[in-house]
Amino acid sequence: MRKFLTATAVIVIAVLSSVAVTVGGALGPLFNGVRSLAEFYLLNVFNAHNRTLTAMSPEAVTSIVWDYRGLDTLFETVVFYMAIIGCVALHRGIELTKRGSEVGLSRIVKTVTKILIPLNIVVAASIALHGHLTPGGGFQAGAAMAVAPIIIIVVFSRFFLMKRGVTKEVALSLRSMGLLGIALVALIPLVAWVTTGSVAYVMQNQVKTNSSFSFPAYIGGSLVSGSLIWYNIFEFLAVTFGFTIVFLLLSVDEETVRKVLGGDKHE
Amino acid sequence: MVDLTMVLLAVFAGIALFFAYLAISERNLVRALIYSAVQSSAFAFIFYLLRAPDIVLVYVPISVGIYPAAILFLIRKTKEVEEP
Repeated sequence: MRKFLTATAVIVIAVLSSVAVTVGGALGPLFNGVRSLAEFYLLNVFNAHNRTLTAMSPEAVTSIVWDYRGLDTLFETVVFYMAIIGCVALHRGIELTKRGSEVGLSRIVKTVTKILIPLNIVVAASIALHGHLTPGGGFQAGAAMAVAPIIIIVVFSRFFLMKRGVTKEVALSLRSMGLLGIALVALIPLVAWVTTGSVAYVMQNQVKTNSSFSFPAYIGGSLVSGSLIWYNIFEFLAVTFGFTIVFLLLSVDEETVRKVLGGDKHE
Repeated sequence: MVDLTMVLLAVFAGIALFFAYLAISERNLVRALIYSAVQSSAFAFIFYLLRAPDIVLVYVPISVGIYPAAILFLIRKTKEVEEP
């Protein structure tokens, strides 16, 4: 009876939403040219002739995420930061011992992992460092990079990772460095405002109509898109080590966690 | 207008729907998790077909790596089979 009800519910919802998006046209025109809002961004994200509106990056999504709608992304990062803080606070008082059995999975799995981990790191770094040129960016790269410590924890064990220096404290400080970097890049325009006296805005990237402040769009001849590459690199750090902390804490066995979290018994 | 993109969208949406149903009705949590991960992978293909490569890049590591790993760790902390 329960299965019948679930199946019926799934089918009814599927049919209703299919009707809505096809006959009803709920999604609007799909694949039918470019909308006017998209046209604005495609024209302006990389437009050296219109410096007050451009982000100097050929990647429209990263430009919108870290420049045009930069504050939204800043608050998203804060939400992620608070989630990690919640996890760390839940696991307070639990000591992550460095020593333990490093049995892990079979030799075949370990060898395959050893081959794949460097590839993973290279792909993640390229997603982060090319985030302002090709699809990708800080969060995408951080998520791709975080897979590496997770696989190491599952295949080799938590102690393998911790013996090589990736402890909770190191991950926490690297993640804080990433967040600090994002805050600094957002506040650098204010430093320019204090020192030079010209108007500048928080999270400003390129020049605006009444402000001459601008991050360098090119460094040594290569396009770095002003502040975008810095946001991507620091977000990459913050997300990678945020996930690493969570998985280091989750990999502690349940009995140890309960002993600490249970506290003293009440009469 | 029926073109290849629309057909593939329908195919992957169908796969996602089927595995979503399996994930809901399965009592073994590990199996339900694998069904759910397959559903997420179908979603990743849908995002690619909808021309959102940025979302694909974040969805693939999340749906195939981080999400199943996190839930597996949590299942290990509780029971493997859901009680009726």
